[in-house]
Amino acid sequence: MNDDIRVGVFVCDCGTNIARTVNVPELVEYAKGLKNVVFVEEGKWSCSVDYLAKMQESIKEHNLNRVVIASCTSRTHEPLFKKTVKEAGLNPYLLEFVSIREQVSWVHMNDPVKATEKAKDLVKMGVAKAILLEPGEEIRLPVRTDCLIIGGGMAGMTAALNIAAQGFKAIIVEKQPQLGGLLNELYWIAPEEVSADEIAKAKAELIAQNENIKVYTNAEIEDIRGYIGNYKVRVKSNGKSEEFDASTIIVATGMRESEPVGQYGYGDDSRVITQLQLEALLKSNGLEAKKDVVIINCVNSKNEARGCCSIGCLASVKNAIALKAINKDMRMHILYRDLSMVKEEVNYLKDAKNMGIKFIRYTDERKPEVSKENGRLMVKVYDLLLGRELKIPADLIVLTTGFEGDSTVDKLKGQLKVSANPDGFFQEAHVKLGPSDFPSDGIYLCGCARSPKNLKDTSDEATAAAMRASIPMKVGYLEAEGIVSDIDLDACNDCGLCIKNCPYGAIQWVDDRPSVIKALCKGCGLCAADCTKDAITVVHYSDEQILAQVDAALQEKAQEKIIAFCCHWCALGAADMAGVSRLQYPPNVRIIRVMCLARVAAKFVLRAFELGAAGVLVAGCEFPTCHYIVGNYKAERRVERIIRKRLAQKGYDPDKLCTAWLSAADGPKFAATIRSMVEKLNLG
Amino acid sequence: MSDSILIIGGGIAGINAALSAADYGCHVYLLDDTASIGGMMARLDKTFPTNDCSICIQSPLMYKVDNHPNIEILTNCEVRRISQENGNFKVRLVKKARFVDADKCTGCGTCAEACPVSVPDELDGKVGGMRKLIYIPFPQAVPNTSIIDPRCRYGKMREQSACIGGCAVDCNQCRECPIALCVKACKDEGKDAVLLWQSDRPMDIELKSIIVCSGIKSFEPSTGTYGYNVYENVITNLQFERLMNAGGPTGGEIVRPSDKAHPKKIAWIQCVGRGDKELPYCSKVCCMITAKQVIIAKEHDPAVETVVFYNDLKAYGKGFYDFHRKAVASGTRYIKGKPFDIFEHPETKNLTIRFEDLDKGELRQEEVELLVLATGLIPSDRNKRLARVLGIELDEYGFFKEKDPLNAPLETDVDGIYLCGGATGPIDISESVVQASAASMKAVLVRS
Repeated sequence: MNDDIRVGVFVCDCGTNIARTVNVPELVEYAKGLKNVVFVEEGKWSCSVDYLAKMQESIKEHNLNRVVIASCTSRTHEPLFKKTVKEAGLNPYLLEFVSIREQVSWVHMNDPVKATEKAKDLVKMGVAKAILLEPGEEIRLPVRTDCLIIGGGMAGMTAALNIAAQGFKAIIVEKQPQLGGLLNELYWIAPEEVSADEIAKAKAELIAQNENIKVYTNAEIEDIRGYIGNYKVRVKSNGKSEEFDASTIIVATGMRESEPVGQYGYGDDSRVITQLQLEALLKSNGLEAKKDVVIINCVNSKNEARGCCSIGCLASVKNAIALKAINKDMRMHILYRDLSMVKEEVNYLKDAKNMGIKFIRYTDERKPEVSKENGRLMVKVYDLLLGRELKIPADLIVLTTGFEGDSTVDKLKGQLKVSANPDGFFQEAHVKLGPSDFPSDGIYLCGCARSPKNLKDTSDEATAAAMRASIPMKVGYLEAEGIVSDIDLDACNDCGLCIKNCPYGAIQWVDDRPSVIKALCKGCGLCAADCTKDAITVVHYSDEQILAQVDAALQEKAQEKIIAFCCHWCALGAADMAGVSRLQYPPNVRIIRVMCLARVAAKFVLRAFELGAAGVLVAGCEFPTCHYIVGNYKAERRVERIIRKRLAQKGYDPDKLCTAWLSAADGPKFAATIRSMVEKLNLG
Repeated sequence: MSDSILIIGGGIAGINAALSAADYGCHVYLLDDTASIGGMMARLDKTFPTNDCSICIQSPLMYKVDNHPNIEILTNCEVRRISQENGNFKVRLVKKARFVDADKCTGCGTCAEACPVSVPDELDGKVGGMRKLIYIPFPQAVPNTSIIDPRCRYGKMREQSACIGGCAVDCNQCRECPIALCVKACKDEGKDAVLLWQSDRPMDIELKSIIVCSGIKSFEPSTGTYGYNVYENVITNLQFERLMNAGGPTGGEIVRPSDKAHPKKIAWIQCVGRGDKELPYCSKVCCMITAKQVIIAKEHDPAVETVVFYNDLKAYGKGFYDFHRKAVASGTRYIKGKPFDIFEHPETKNLTIRFEDLDKGELRQEEVELLVLATGLIPSDRNKRLARVLGIELDEYGFFKEKDPLNAPLETDVDGIYLCGGATGPIDISESVVQASAASMKAVLVRS
């Protein structure tokens, strides 16, 4: 062991919140006896401004190069202490946080002896890890100010204008001969009743005038390589290939109608058309002679394969009103399943009803039927309110069909290494909190390429995506925390598993060897835990550091102890919640924090059992939530398919390994899990 | 020229707008008139259409805001006046007294333990638990600082039962309180952070732009609507959400108010309040909230029977229809039809719902043990005052009005003031996040 390592331990009383239960003076004396510990101090309120200053003095005075804080919880207070040690001149990654309030004093209030014993263990584990800590640093990847925008419809144009307004360069790649996308196919926009052509024209004009925007039309992406700040793009435009660099990418490829071939006579009879075909007819004025029009909604949508198309109901009402404007005596029926008109669109519906447009609801089980009688189209529909079948003649049948992603999506998702759903809509990083992002930094998503939506929402999303892309371009770099993976290429056998598994695309082939793009790495540790060659180290959560914690925890009375690997975000959140709620549970558990449960390698669990642990708990985020997209799923697979088998092979009872999937609010469940484990393992 | 942005409202929209603008490099004031940021989302159990746990995905963002060097959080704070000068906004804020020194308070909760007075927690409504008069709003609160309910110092509450009830002296007259138990408890902890004599303080700031994301409110049905406030076991969907929540008043036990028993049959009625008088528009999220709630209710107790009375199903967003199908597949019966009468059984407190089944064209009835009213979303109470102070317009319903939704979305009539989230109308979390990023784009670009 390195003698130069000088650990300082700061134990907090938290007023009496800790000191009332834990015998802090005894804990301080105990810590003084631990290896490499040169300074220990009790503080009444470690987080108070005056104590933080005192802590900084102690770090300097005693020349401390590792710091262990034993106090509340890392989830709220780690940034404060990191900042404090940093200001004292110490690398913040040389700090280890030990929770003796949420994990000890608040949850073992009636057992001061055991609580103190547990606090000692936790401090010992903290010191053991601290000794092995290495300085880390935030990693910066330079990002310039050029943004590739794929798609030149409403979304792409809006995003480009926002990017360009900052003086950044926007490069639009549009597959059509002109900008405008779906707008070029629409008649007017509802419920505002504005001409779609005018909107498209106005935007295109702004773009033409803007010297920060470059437009490629008749263009397709031939090749994209690289990552944020460093994309190499090859585009073929009007038959000519061209290469350029880009720092960020906005995907705005839009959508298309899903053709209802073979349904309701579409394809057989030219009088059966889709809404977009109707829009074209509305523009060219060929509809005056039509007397009876039937619109059928929810074609190719709201079924097992596809969801609600979001905009069909409004489109059907809009176009019915447009037809009425051509000929107010036109008889119009809209056959619908649910009228999914939201917010004030409902008023628009009222207008339509007042114009005499008839609405008839049908169910999925009893769809309308189209037939021909003497050359005339007839629609049969069962009217639920009247309780009988109606026969409606039609000169024109309009099908409101569902949508699918653009035809370029399949190719593009391979080029960008992102995913899309079966309908060809791109998959965002997080449906709630990351709607404009892809999992990989540097690529952003907006408009109908994400899902069908109206023009206003498209414009909101495009502006949002522009903001997301602008942040790294404005700052000039992308910064990642120091908790990142590092590959030892001497040990690596180039199997490529890490590249395949990384949810962030942070590991890529560079010169035919795996290489971590550190600024893209989020530090979940999935790659390290699955590496068969042990070639990957996660800074701050290395194998040695975690095993040192396991060893320290089990040095004494191992047979009474449960080692719990908890993810920082939810499982530790649940443990904290149990603490805040003062839920009492048996003091047998020793928590080892990992950022993501995906970090928990089989060998950690095996080591605990080898050292005689009574049991092991592996606790992560409740499905489907995971801070690292899929970490909990991967961890569960690993536990069920690998770790349990290996335990059995080695003669340990696999049932002594428990799992818990918790939300950060699951304090009661966390406490109950520990209680039930203690009971099951006969530790009571 | 100032480089600061004021964000009014600390819900999920405000949090995202603040992080975006601050990451971009601007200085951000994130203001909320309650004691903690978090807003509506912090009260929810799960979020549709994935059933992600709400606080699990939100609290990391709240801590991020708390630790961001470019963000200053101003809770318990209101906007009073605004003027424009040299292209900047000059804004007068009032930091309302918290009666706790936020710099000294560590959120340990000892004061709340000492406080002898419990009052109903307004977050939870009638299914609610109790909280103390000095309290931390919820465990993940940011800032994690106690606050005193002003009722502790004034009015009836003081006379009746508060520990300072015996004192005839106005708190503002003293600089040290000899009686209050919270003051003493905090002193015993060695902190002395409770300051009963604290008063409101003004604060002036200069800004380049303002984002209004003051949120939205759950509609409260009038007494008698489907037996609401008349029959014990009729609650709103927000109250049901609190029951599902492990951090809620029952620790995640779905129990009905009358006897705290686990209901074996629960019904939801959609579109409660919809009509020309009360809610003339569709709030659009309620169908998915109900889908979520039936799925979670089934997860809590697979034997529970669930029935939903609905009109038009709104499954307008990505993955929403699949989510609805999941609700149906969980065994929930969806009945198209609007109930017209509710009866309570005097002994069991069960409810009989009489309704017309529109698919079958029959009049029928069902008896349930708990009835949940899926109510819509209405403008926040803050909107009128805020609109007046900021000089921007509200629409006919009371939401903030966008200047031109197609060509200038999220913009207001005042250059430099932008909108996002529930302030613009009924909206889900994902759309709020999108709008927050978009509004922050506009806010950083203005006059730059």
